[in-house]
Parts: sequence; C-alpha cells; structure tokens
Amino acid sequence: MGKDIVRYLLCMGCAIILLNSCQGDAEHDGQATAGQQAVDSLPMLILQIQKCARLYTTEVHVHKIVTHDDVIRLRGSLLKKDFNLTVPLGDRKIAIPMNATLKAYIDFSQFSEKNVERNGERITVILPDPKVEMTSSKIDQKNIRQYVAIARAEFSDAEMSSYEQQGRQAIIESIPSLGIIETAQENAARVLVPMLVEMGYKEENITIAFRKEFKTDRLWLKSIEALR
Amino acid sequence: MAQKYRSAEIAVIALLALVVAVWLYRGLQSSHVELEVNDGIGLTPTQIESIKAIGQWEFLAISDEELIDTVRKGFFRNDQLARIYYGTLRLGIDMRQVGPDWIRLENDTLRVLLPPVGLLDNNFIDEARTKSFFESGKWTAQDREQMYKRAYHRMRQHCLTPANIRTAEDNARENFKKLLRTMGYQNVEVEVRSEK
Repeated sequence: MGKDIVRYLLCMGCAIILLNSCQGDAEHDGQATAGQQAVDSLPMLILQIQKCARLYTTEVHVHKIVTHDDVIRLRGSLLKKDFNLTVPLGDRKIAIPMNATLKAYIDFSQFSEKNVERNGERITVILPDPKVEMTSSKIDQKNIRQYVAIARAEFSDAEMSSYEQQGRQAIIESIPSLGIIETAQENAARVLVPMLVEMGYKEENITIAFRKEFKTDRLWLKSIEALR
Repeated sequence: MAQKYRSAEIAVIALLALVVAVWLYRGLQSSHVELEVNDGIGLTPTQIESIKAIGQWEFLAISDEELIDTVRKGFFRNDQLARIYYGTLRLGIDMRQVGPDWIRLENDTLRVLLPPVGLLDNNFIDEARTKSFFESGKWTAQDREQMYKRAYHRMRQHCLTPANIRTAEDNARENFKKLLRTMGYQNVEVEVRSEK
C-alpha cells in the first residue's frame, strides 16, 4: 500500500513536471502557439459613421523612434544632506520604431456660393483653410529593441502602449514644423484646376485662393486642436 | 571626591547623549527618501520619409474600435492578452481613377461620371493609439502582429459593407452636385461608376 502511494506520487510528479515544461516551451514560442491555441473570446465592435466632403491633397509618411530610458533613482535627504543615487541593476531601456501617415485636406462641407466669385469668363474659388490629420500609424513590432536589467521586470504591454501613445502625440505636436499646409494649398490647385478646365473654363481664367491671409501659427493650432 | 567627578561625567555624557538624540530626531524628521521612476519618452526627431500629392475625395468616414484578445492555454493557468485597436476607414473616390471626359457639358446639363467609391487607404489602423486592456503571461512581437492583422480584417469586414458603400456613393453624388451648382451650373447629373 505504502509503495503504491509512493509510486502514485512519483507518477503525478513526473506528469506535472512534463506538462509544466511543455507550457514553458509554448510560452517561449509565442507565434506558433498563437496560431495553434489562440482563442478569440471577446469580440466587440463600436462604429461611428460620419458623412463628410473632404478633399485630401497631400500625404506625408513620417518615421519616429520612440525611446524610453527607465532608470530607478533613490533620492531624498538624510540629516539635511541631499542625495540622488542610481539604483544598481535597475536599468531598463526600450526603442520603439513607428511609422505614421499624415494627410492634409480641404473641408468642403461648408462650401457655398460665398466661396466662388465669377466675373464673366473668370472664376475665383476661395477655399477653406487646409487641415492636417493623422490617418494611420504602425508600430514596427519586429524591430522593437529592449534591454532589461536583472533586477527589473520586462516591459508590460500597458507600458509599451503608453510610450507609443506618447510618441503619437509627439508626432502630432511636430506637425507645424513639417510644412505640410503650404504643400496642401499648392496640391489643392492641382486637383481643382483640371476639374474646372474640364467644365469649360480656360486655365488662365481660373484662380484658386484661400479664405484669408492666415497666420501660420493660428492655422497650425487649429489643426492640432482638431487632431486632439 | 571621585564619586563627585563620576557624577559630573555621567551628567555630561547624559547631556551629550540628549543633544545627539535631539539632533538626530530633528535631522530624521526633516529627512525623506523616495524612489523616482521616469515614465516619459526621450526627445527624438520626427523624420519625413516622403511627401506626395494626392487627390482623394472622402465622403464617408467610419471610425471603429475592436477589442482583440488572444488566449494561450496552459496546464495551471491560461495566459491572456487583450488590446483595443482604433481605426478609421475612409470611403471615397480617387481622382487618379477618373476617365477621359469625366465631366461633359451637354446642352445646358453638366454630366459627371465619378470613379467607383472604395477604401481610400489600406492603412487605416492607428496602432499607436492602441490601448492595452489586459495582459497575463509573456507575449511576443509576433503575437502583437497577429492581433493587428486580426483587427485589420475585422474592421474591413465590419465597415466595408455594401450599405456603407451605397451611403458614400449617395453622399458623393449630393456633394458633387452641390459643388458644381455653386460654380454656376444649375443642371448637374452625377453618376458613380460601379466597381468591376
């Protein structure tokens, strides 16, 4: 009886070790397991549909490497003496490459007769201010590089998402320095002039103008507000 | 006499100990120690890879959120990763696809033949906006890439419906008529080519 119990316990122990090692392998090879055992258990869908009339005139592809240097520092004061020390073996670093597409557009939803001036054979189209929107972004998952010291935990998915969102915001904030608006205005003319020529106007009689002599800074602020 | 000296010594030592204790107490009261962890990202430049002129009219924007999760079954516990992906599918027409004589003036009627309405850009997911909802276990870049692909296909499946394409076509007709009327043409007929 006693031998049976020992044998039973030994068998159970071997089985647990074997299964546990299988689980370890599975975790190591994420792609294979994701393909074989990944189960979709939480489908959810939220949709928002919006009618619009926008003419996209310029597409810009940008690249950014988001970096995060995570060093734990011990700081404070002891007996009125300040100190600021780096905790040994507490470094973590990550670099996340990302690509984004920005598009500049003219919003025609409020376009009316007030935007068109006709004088005989001449036509002047006064367009609203161009705006810029981030239409997509893609994280280069395969080229993410990270270093984690022995005393620290791996970067979690939530932490990486937070850095990616900060990187996205940094791209939006850099839009004013990219000079897209001027290009968007020129390109709007390139789309509209051939259309007006098809309608029977002579090219030399067509003028594409913008709503006002706007201050670039104000325009950018508007565009950024719209993105947020 | 010796006892007197000893008493004085004890009194001095006690006084010194009191002074040191008060000094230490005051010093420790004003002391503080904290661990500081940096949550921000570094300052890196945003580089322009390309700029190109396009001519795309957008008539319907469908914003979508998809909760994608993946579960890896183990003996003792299941590992799980759930992320929320955001994307906007833009339906409209691409002016590169217009045919010759797409705008014709016949008597007093302006006839317009627009190219088929379709998805303006195949890259519509804003992956940098993705929210991590739940994570247990260790997940790799390949796992996240697979989840991105599933979100992509699900968004296409949910948003690129015949009903949405019809709505975009109707809006295209309506807006082109409005645009051309503002330019002085009262009789405008707009047709949208159907996808082959």
